[in-house]
Amino acid sequence: MNIEEMTREEEVAGFVGTDRYFLAPELGSIVNIAIVMEKPLLLMGEAGTGKTQLAFEVARALSMKIYVARCKSTMKGEELCYDHDTVARLYESRFGSAETERDPAKFDDYIVYGPIGKAFLAEERGVLLLDEIDKTESDVQDNLLDILDAYEFTIREIDRKIIAKNKPFIVITSNAKKELSDPFLRRCYCHYIEFPTPEQMRQIISLHYPKTDEKLVDVALDIFYDLRDQGFEKSPATSEILNWIGALEHEDISPSELRKKNYKERVPFLGVLLKRAGDIQAYTNNFHRQHNSNIFKERDY
Amino acid sequence: MFFVDFFYTLRSYGVPITTQYILELQEGLKKGLAENVDDLYNLLRLICVKRIEHLDNFDRAFSKYFYGIELPASGEITDLNKLLENKPFREWLDTQMREGKLKPAEIQWKISPEELFRRFLKTLEEQTEAHHGGNKWIGTGGTSPYGHSGNSYGGIRVYGRSERQSAIKTIGERRYINYSDNAGLRAENIRQVLGTFKKMVPIGPKTDLDLNETIYRTAKNAGEIEFIFKPELRDNIRVTLLIDNGGYSMSRYVSIVSLVFSKIKDRFKDLSTYYFRNCIYGNLFSDPQRLKDYPTKKFLSNNPVDTRVLIIGDASMAPEELFSPRGAIEYGVDDTEPGIVWLKRIRDRFSYSVWLNPIQSSYWSERYGSYTIREIRQIYHMENLTLGGIKNAVTYLNEQE
Repeated sequence: MNIEEMTREEEVAGFVGTDRYFLAPELGSIVNIAIVMEKPLLLMGEAGTGKTQLAFEVARALSMKIYVARCKSTMKGEELCYDHDTVARLYESRFGSAETERDPAKFDDYIVYGPIGKAFLAEERGVLLLDEIDKTESDVQDNLLDILDAYEFTIREIDRKIIAKNKPFIVITSNAKKELSDPFLRRCYCHYIEFPTPEQMRQIISLHYPKTDEKLVDVALDIFYDLRDQGFEKSPATSEILNWIGALEHEDISPSELRKKNYKERVPFLGVLLKRAGDIQAYTNNFHRQHNSNIFKERDY
Repeated sequence: MFFVDFFYTLRSYGVPITTQYILELQEGLKKGLAENVDDLYNLLRLICVKRIEHLDNFDRAFSKYFYGIELPASGEITDLNKLLENKPFREWLDTQMREGKLKPAEIQWKISPEELFRRFLKTLEEQTEAHHGGNKWIGTGGTSPYGHSGNSYGGIRVYGRSERQSAIKTIGERRYINYSDNAGLRAENIRQVLGTFKKMVPIGPKTDLDLNETIYRTAKNAGEIEFIFKPELRDNIRVTLLIDNGGYSMSRYVSIVSLVFSKIKDRFKDLSTYYFRNCIYGNLFSDPQRLKDYPTKKFLSNNPVDTRVLIIGDASMAPEELFSPRGAIEYGVDDTEPGIVWLKRIRDRFSYSVWLNPIQSSYWSERYGSYTIREIRQIYHMENLTLGGIKNAVTYLNEQE
């Protein structure tokens, strides 16, 4: 093994171990490509696949600062770059600004930079996370095109262009609640994170619960993926199974007990896995149907 | 310039490309991002694929160009004859039979074509592994077709070399086959489509500062500041579903309709649903069992004109069900007027209305009900009840502004 490979190995250990974050090898390669090509990385996939977490892990692994913008449906996009505190300026022009030492005549004194502005003005390269971009309107995404493309934005009121001192590594996440526009997608590298396979899920669990009985995990995984296949409105995801394993372990439930309960009674701590009343109802109905074929309910759609 | 013709292969597989992508690839190669075919796969995929529904076609193009294997399209994977048109696969199969690893009877009866193809890819994967990733394409005389001039990148190395996922393996898994545009509906992709369906109006609490008004009032007040706030924008979309849940012709689509319905219900706060059998007459039903009457007139007058009306039905019926008074086959329906009159009334009232048909559009003109489908299409914009169809329907409705 040569030196380069050794350092690589070490970094792998540090990256996975300390942060309890499981990184699929494919995803690692994708992060690298996006960083080298200086392209924003758009991560899609259902909740619980670790999209947001990835940005934090990259920041930590590279010891970079992270700037987080959590998107809302009412956002216009501009406030992520900067905001102008008009209310304070009006107030201080009327009542004086001795306390804040700002000058109401100067526009600059009342600029408040948002996460994008901060990331662009930072002296060192950072990670910029635009979380859940799909919540925003499509014209917001259009407003962000210059940022993704040229790493710059303009302060409209004074026509000043802010260009990133160091291009941050932009990570964008989307739950696919909404289709993103083509121009937006063209500027990104897009990756769809698949839900972890049972094998990967086993690794994730072992990162969080290294001491848990493997047989228990086996049974739990069986039940978990079986539940996911039943097509609930809110399928259980990674955080649910982690909490559930925690609960099982805390109550000292043995693998055989768990299997027995799953067949005879019902899954223990069901509420940890299924969150919606409708889903729990559906589970119970299914359960009775399987165990008592006389009961037939019309499928209500 | 390397691999330019690959981009044309991509295009022929229906993946949209731009010149920019070709340039990006050259830049990526110069930066040493593709030291082997597996890295190249990741790089090309990031550069070229922007939508998940194109991923499967990308995989097929990649496998054709770099491995010379034509992967079957989603519908063909179970068709052994189609698979046999693939030369490498045929050769592999021949060898397997010659070596006695597979018997003709097994191929005919025991092993599914899908499984055969999977085994074939596995063999291929093992072969490329044995060459230490150096397959034919890259291993010629030890020189790769492009130089990686020591331009190594010192950033994060988050993956160990041995863990690397090989491209052929990834492709062989066909993970993205379900997402191709003409694929059927699944829970995750419906949600994706319905997300585009909204209408923002100012109805929230007054929390946004109305700057113009504030300055105007303040000036009027001779400098005494007066803040004016306006309501924020909120989603205010009303959706109504009319579902055909009766009759033999709809029964085979029950599971898909109920899946779509559960996702629509999930998405919209303000949703009402009514049921009918085959065609709409003087009354709808507010329960799936079609026991509780709901007058269609009341439905027309109680919903504002901007209500989005989605009708899900196969639009296939006997012509008299659509055109004749007393044409309904359902007992207890007010059918003094023919169904087509009611369908027109609903359309006239709600300009944001669209018809979703579980029958594939390619069959609309050539099976039972083609006549009534054609007539109803004169009134309603009709789309398939597939991912692409719902997407088109939503676009259509959003364009009605």
